[in-house]
Amino acid sequence: MDTVTRRKFLQLTAGASIGAAAAFLSIEEIAAAASARPLASGTPILVIVTLYGGNDGLNTVIPFKDPIYYSSRPDISYKQESVLQLDSQYGLNPSMTGIANLWKDGKVAIVRGAGYPSPDRSHFSSMAKWQSGSPKTLSKSGWIGRWIDSQPDDPMLAISLGSVLPPLLAGEKKVGSALPLGGLVIPQGTVGADFRKLSLPSTSDSKLRSLAANSMKDLFNISEKITPILKKPEPTEVELPTINGGNAGGDSNLTQQLNIVSKLIQADAPTRVWSVSLGGFDTHANEANAQSILLGSVSSAIDKFMSGLKTSKHGADVVVLVYSEFGRRVVGNASKGTDHGTSGPMFIIGDKIKGGFYGDQPSLSNLVDGDLSVTTDFRDVYASLIEDVLKSPADRYLNNWKGRTKFYKAR
Amino acid sequence: MDINRLETARLFHRFGFGPRPGEFVNAVNAGVSATREKLFANSGTDLGLMNVPQLVVTDLGKRPSPDDPQLASYTSELRRQNTELTTWWLDRMALADFSLQEKATWFWHGHWATSIKKLNFALPMYKQHQTLQKYALGNFNEMVTAMLDDGALQFWLDGQENTAKSPNENLARELMELFTLGVGRYSEADVKELSRALTGIQVARSSGEVTFKKNRFDNGTKSILGVSQNFDRTSAGKFLVSQPDSKRFITERFWFRYMSSQFPLPEETEFEGAFESREIRELLLALASSDAMRDTRYELVKSPVEWFIAVCRALSVTPSKLTKNSALLNYLEKLAQVPFDPPNVGGWPTDDAWLSSASAQFRASFASWLIAQGDISPIENLTPGERVQKTADLLGVVEWSARTKSALEGNTKNSKRLILLAICSPEYLVSA
Repeated sequence: MDTVTRRKFLQLTAGASIGAAAAFLSIEEIAAAASARPLASGTPILVIVTLYGGNDGLNTVIPFKDPIYYSSRPDISYKQESVLQLDSQYGLNPSMTGIANLWKDGKVAIVRGAGYPSPDRSHFSSMAKWQSGSPKTLSKSGWIGRWIDSQPDDPMLAISLGSVLPPLLAGEKKVGSALPLGGLVIPQGTVGADFRKLSLPSTSDSKLRSLAANSMKDLFNISEKITPILKKPEPTEVELPTINGGNAGGDSNLTQQLNIVSKLIQADAPTRVWSVSLGGFDTHANEANAQSILLGSVSSAIDKFMSGLKTSKHGADVVVLVYSEFGRRVVGNASKGTDHGTSGPMFIIGDKIKGGFYGDQPSLSNLVDGDLSVTTDFRDVYASLIEDVLKSPADRYLNNWKGRTKFYKAR
Repeated sequence: MDINRLETARLFHRFGFGPRPGEFVNAVNAGVSATREKLFANSGTDLGLMNVPQLVVTDLGKRPSPDDPQLASYTSELRRQNTELTTWWLDRMALADFSLQEKATWFWHGHWATSIKKLNFALPMYKQHQTLQKYALGNFNEMVTAMLDDGALQFWLDGQENTAKSPNENLARELMELFTLGVGRYSEADVKELSRALTGIQVARSSGEVTFKKNRFDNGTKSILGVSQNFDRTSAGKFLVSQPDSKRFITERFWFRYMSSQFPLPEETEFEGAFESREIRELLLALASSDAMRDTRYELVKSPVEWFIAVCRALSVTPSKLTKNSALLNYLEKLAQVPFDPPNVGGWPTDDAWLSSASAQFRASFASWLIAQGDISPIENLTPGERVQKTADLLGVVEWSARTKSALEGNTKNSKRLILLAICSPEYLVSA
């Protein structure tokens, strides 16, 4: 990932101080917390997947019956027979088989035409609006960050994967934590066995030496719990097309990120909100193949994530949110790509979700300045997630926003 | 337990930062008194310190306003200076020949515990560090005088807020409680009176420059510990240091950090007599020569910085050359001890505070990271059969327990692994 651009994004969105204020966690710390105070089963968990770059919504949820779709973008449209049909008019991008299967199981809510008033076409300011949850008067805090502010101090409460904290998790007073990727260091195998030997009591031990030995024994109590879960890291994914659309932030290894989140959820980490990301959606050129690979990666990563949790006691408690900072223009450009647009679909996935479409599909014949209209305000979705998943009153975090989207099954 | 090895190991680990390759065995062979003599001998020029990279700290002046384009370069320079100051000191600890001096400076930093977190600037911290270096083994009376003129300490404890019109007691209280007398050896009225004596100071934060403003100074008579006169900061400091309680207190503090924080300083010791003239070196020499050095009850846990520096010395590591410095500081932060950033004015904790399971985990990954960059040839060049005992000699460990020996003996063919386990062993973490 282009770290310079990414840093620029963070500076533009929430001030440079956020990264510095975030606590960096290690797997070990989370494992220790999981062991000391496991999350009670039945506690809902929110997993937020941010797609950086502006995902082309029209090629994600495809209106395959609409002739304007085909006439607007002849080079980059999907034929009816190739899409994964959701109903008689809409189908998913052909690469999204995993999410299509979850849809069949009734676990996927798709909110169409999601956005906010007066859409901003800058990656940075539009993402700032989405992440702050305050599109009108841009707030420096994130919508989850303000929720964190209201909760008791706990570095495990909300965790972002990767070494920089997204503005989403930055509150006015407190911030979420960051778990840098690739830091899985727990002595394993023969080193682990040797460390275990060092932790044994010895008759010659003084008081402090026996305490020192014992501190390493505790280490292995935790490791025993966590190591089997973390033992087999997934192979990293095939190379993703970041060259085309990868200069607008986001990480590149969603499968790996979700794999770690899955394992930590299974280990009972006391974490209520996880944040992961995938970049590369800024497909100004040669979009079809690139976006398809990215969406395939999102789809299979989420599918693996959900099926991996099936047997876990937390499986039914997990709700996944997928969004991007904007959709793309309806009409394709001269480089077989699309430029920055407005609204796009949001996905909410989980056992507790009532599958189906929410919000109207923006009409292709009635565009606003050549762009899709916004039919659902993203704050409706946030408010419902705060109430139903985070079990908190949404008004105070979203400036008394009244709209709701009822995709959560009644308790 | 071999008492000569015990005493030698304590001389290295407590009065210095641990032996370099070969030093421990040579010292055991030379005998305890020769080792002590060498430890206390100051040749004048420390050749080891010649290898410490030059430190550049400057006065950065006032912070540009948020919309000033200079702000970015200003903050990056600020960060560079702060990081470099820290690694520079770690380098000194790791490379110094005259380890007694560096260790005593480290002690005094924990004593006058001032944090860069509040100061924000490297320059005032660097100036304070120089003062602590200068008097680390010198005269405590002179040290107190100098420290009351120290911008970093003054700012840290709100000395610049303390004026004749509106006194601020922060510095006065800590001066008596933590720096010179000890808690309970003064009254609340003494705190108030002393704060009046300390008035008149202004501090330029970015440089640490202190100026005395006559109109901010309370020019009246103050009554401190039963003595009334027109004290100012210098005379009040000297007065406090002259108290018998001060002699006792400083002796207690050295006992706590150099000998035992589990067992209090015994009532009757030779140490206070050695500190009669407030010469710090004399007090340290008395401690290093005492019977307590051979008392096996008095064990001490190496703090994270002490552990790290001891490993650096054993494996010939220069901290600032580790890749990367940010990873190094991150490890130290995880272990909760970064020089120039004590947790509070009371300094760092001791012993069991450093023995949490979370620290054990960080220490294990820190240790693997360090060993990958260290020189393991002193062990690698030996035959597998010699390695376990020679690792104890390299590290200055008195003896391995049966437990640790068994863990190490399974790894005699893998020197890296052997050293990893050895530096994480209870016998290394705890100075016997």
